[in-house]
Amino acid sequence: MNIMQSTAGNRARFMGGSWTLVALVSVPAVLAAYLTAAGLLRLLPADMWWQSLGVTDLTDPQQLLYRHAFLPRLAISLLAGAALGLTGTLLQQVLRNPLAEPTTIGTNAGATVALTIATLYAPWMLEQGREWVALAGGALSTLAVLALAQGRSFSPVAIIISGLVVSLTCSSASALLMAANREYSEELFIWQSGSLIQNGDAVVFGFAPWLVVAGIAAFLLLRPLRLLDLSDEGAASLGTKPVVTRLAGMTVAVALSSMVVAAVGVISFVALAAPTLVRLAGARTLRQRMIWAPLAGAALLWLTDRLVQVMPFASEIPAGVATAFLGAPLLFLLLPKLRTIPDRDGAILSSVRRRSGWVYLLPGLVAVALVLCAALVVGRGAAGWHVASAAEHAELLPLRAPRIVVALSAGMMLGVVGTLMQRMTGNPMAAPEVLGISGGASLGILLLFVATSDVNRPAMIAAGLVGALASLAMISQTGRRQALAHDRLLLSGVAVATMASAFSAVMLASGDPRLDTLIAWLSGSTYRATAADAIVAAVTATALLIIVPLTVRWLEILPLGEAASRGLGLGIDRVRIILVLVAVPTTIATLVIGPLSFVGLMAPHLARMLGFQRALPQLFASAMLGGMILVSADWAGRMLIFPWQIPAGLLAALIGGPYFMVLMWKRRR
Amino acid sequence: MVISLGIEPLAVADVKGYRDWVVGPELPAGCFDLGSRGEPNLELLLELKPDLITGAYGFGLDEAPFKRIAPLHTVPFYDGTEAPYRQAEIETLKLGLQLGRKAEAQRLIQKTAAAIAHIRAQLSGRAKQPLAVVSIFDDRHVRVYGEGSLFQDVLDRLRLTNAWTAATDGWGFSVLGIEELVAVGEARVISLDPIPPHVKIRVDQSSLWANLPCVKAGNVRTIPPVWPFGGLAAAARFATLLARA
Repeated sequence: MNIMQSTAGNRARFMGGSWTLVALVSVPAVLAAYLTAAGLLRLLPADMWWQSLGVTDLTDPQQLLYRHAFLPRLAISLLAGAALGLTGTLLQQVLRNPLAEPTTIGTNAGATVALTIATLYAPWMLEQGREWVALAGGALSTLAVLALAQGRSFSPVAIIISGLVVSLTCSSASALLMAANREYSEELFIWQSGSLIQNGDAVVFGFAPWLVVAGIAAFLLLRPLRLLDLSDEGAASLGTKPVVTRLAGMTVAVALSSMVVAAVGVISFVALAAPTLVRLAGARTLRQRMIWAPLAGAALLWLTDRLVQVMPFASEIPAGVATAFLGAPLLFLLLPKLRTIPDRDGAILSSVRRRSGWVYLLPGLVAVALVLCAALVVGRGAAGWHVASAAEHAELLPLRAPRIVVALSAGMMLGVVGTLMQRMTGNPMAAPEVLGISGGASLGILLLFVATSDVNRPAMIAAGLVGALASLAMISQTGRRQALAHDRLLLSGVAVATMASAFSAVMLASGDPRLDTLIAWLSGSTYRATAADAIVAAVTATALLIIVPLTVRWLEILPLGEAASRGLGLGIDRVRIILVLVAVPTTIATLVIGPLSFVGLMAPHLARMLGFQRALPQLFASAMLGGMILVSADWAGRMLIFPWQIPAGLLAALIGGPYFMVLMWKRRR
Repeated sequence: MVISLGIEPLAVADVKGYRDWVVGPELPAGCFDLGSRGEPNLELLLELKPDLITGAYGFGLDEAPFKRIAPLHTVPFYDGTEAPYRQAEIETLKLGLQLGRKAEAQRLIQKTAAAIAHIRAQLSGRAKQPLAVVSIFDDRHVRVYGEGSLFQDVLDRLRLTNAWTAATDGWGFSVLGIEELVAVGEARVISLDPIPPHVKIRVDQSSLWANLPCVKAGNVRTIPPVWPFGGLAAAARFATLLARA
């Protein structure tokens, strides 16, 4: 009796089996199994299941579907889910970062852009399968992220910020390529949204060995990986080389997640959610997490895929999109329980030069004026480059002015809002795009697209505002529990942004006739800017620039920390006022330039690196820089591939991203 | 539509896309490219000073800036008022009036109807097997054309049966996993080019595709590109290519 108990105890310890863990895996698994059995019964009588697996009568359509569509789909959902669970666990351990997963560290975006380029320009590379192309892309982008974060000793925030910059750059590149090859992108739209539909068993048989090899490798690495919990010196003294361990762990994780991307596309959130859930359910040791996280991932993806199939929608909802919808709210619920890791370096991009800044604003103004003039006057026509005369301007101005004004105002607003947010939260990564405010606004606008067929500007503004305020409310809720903890803020922002992009992926894959408008908006095109848009944007930007100096005292105090702020008489309620001040301009900017411009993150950092340290000069400098970036991007977008046009938001991200990377690289020491 | 009325357009959007996906009627060599169909370049349009701008309904473009440049003629298609073929006839006539080519428009309508009638007579000797018309964009999905598509109207006029009878969206097609093609049984499947080469390879490798009843029976035929959302010229082109398949 005693022996049996202790064996059971041992087994429980080996599996790490607490009841919560078992429930975490078995509840979704049982549900999924029920749905699977129900679906299967409609396809094939139960007595045929086993027989038909061994000897399939392919002339019977039902058996054909069972063997070459139903079973492969079931298998790939389990395999991909397990792979993502394992990937997330490995990455989080190796990088000591609770937020690490293939999306946040840039692997997915790299694999995606590589596959997009190959599909459009070198289809022959895909003849043997997508795996190697995806692997090359994923490995390159991950390397870039690590190189950028290296100077900050791979701290969580440094990795997430580099991952974000690299991902944004990569996804702007793929969006641009797809916009330029619209008719050829149908395939990419569908694939990008992570569809688990299978066309035979080849993918499953191709993918399974990778998972097995990666699993074995991961368990061989278990001991050295566990030692990473110690300090690097401690691990070294126990006879391991932390660098080698990290490299090996990363290699396994990146290879495995690239294989998932190659096999089924981007499936968001499972790699983040599975290890997080498992840890919250009580898996403490790495061994426990490495066993339970793949199980949880498999169960979650399986359930999601089954749920997607019983949903009453006309066209397919890809599982990769559905996981984002299910995962994001889950993450919000769990955020307060997540143990946060103190960040060792708050200021990621501190400046070396110190200037007061005011004097240097003058050349800035001159530069803005020059860019505006160039954008208004210089253009290309059928006969080549062309400087417009005054007479021609009568006709050209109505075409050019709204676009330029919209770009300028949106850039200024995003610059100011980004500065406000970074000052307010003391978080170098805070920006409307990153903390999910642009995401919230676009979610609102997208929902409006779904709800009505008659979409007009005032309705769009209202819907965007509701979305932006809702996500702000969620963020401040997160912040209230624990004085604006860095990674929680980021995590909630990432959750909203992921939901928004998942939603747009659904719309893109649905073949909605308004697709072109949607693509144009998502990529930050000013093409559809009207005079009314220009006026609304300009008025909001001006109002913001007038109001913002009034908040300067708060902004100088807030970065000192909450205690100091309270001591100096600044209640946290005032902060809420600033939050509202953030929502309105962000919504307007998102509406006219799309959710992905990146300017709100970039402009404040550029301003600070140029030496504008104090609040007010920094605000104005980043307004100017933001405006200038978008106006130049809009102009260049109209000129570069004339008569085709590159959306301003995309171009800003495409040029701004790498520039930002270079700055980070230079300052890594 | 403009070309089929005997007028050479000065410029069109997405010249390369037209040549890949629409093919006929052929574009004149000196035709300017206006950039993407979603965002035709207004500044270039302004410079070219066209006499008339024609555009299709459903691209979500604001008309105002175009109207400032030249008179605008919008061609509504798939707006649900008429079946696509009938609407193509109506719009051809309207455009003919606008361009002062009423006679040419009437001739085009008659010519297309006659061509289809001719092909119907040609086909009447053959066995009437149901057929499905599909576009393949990736290796796991197909777009199947059904009720409400131009192709359906042409099939009806040819007295051919569409094997795909399930519901379609407002544009007359649905996007499905290829396993749904089991529903058409051993029907003939007409697959529209262009299929990207790597997709073709992966489709051929697919064990599900290879075992579909229609594929096993050797009933899949590929025909050159036809624009599924085109007008009368596309309808005639489709009928002709179908007869040859």
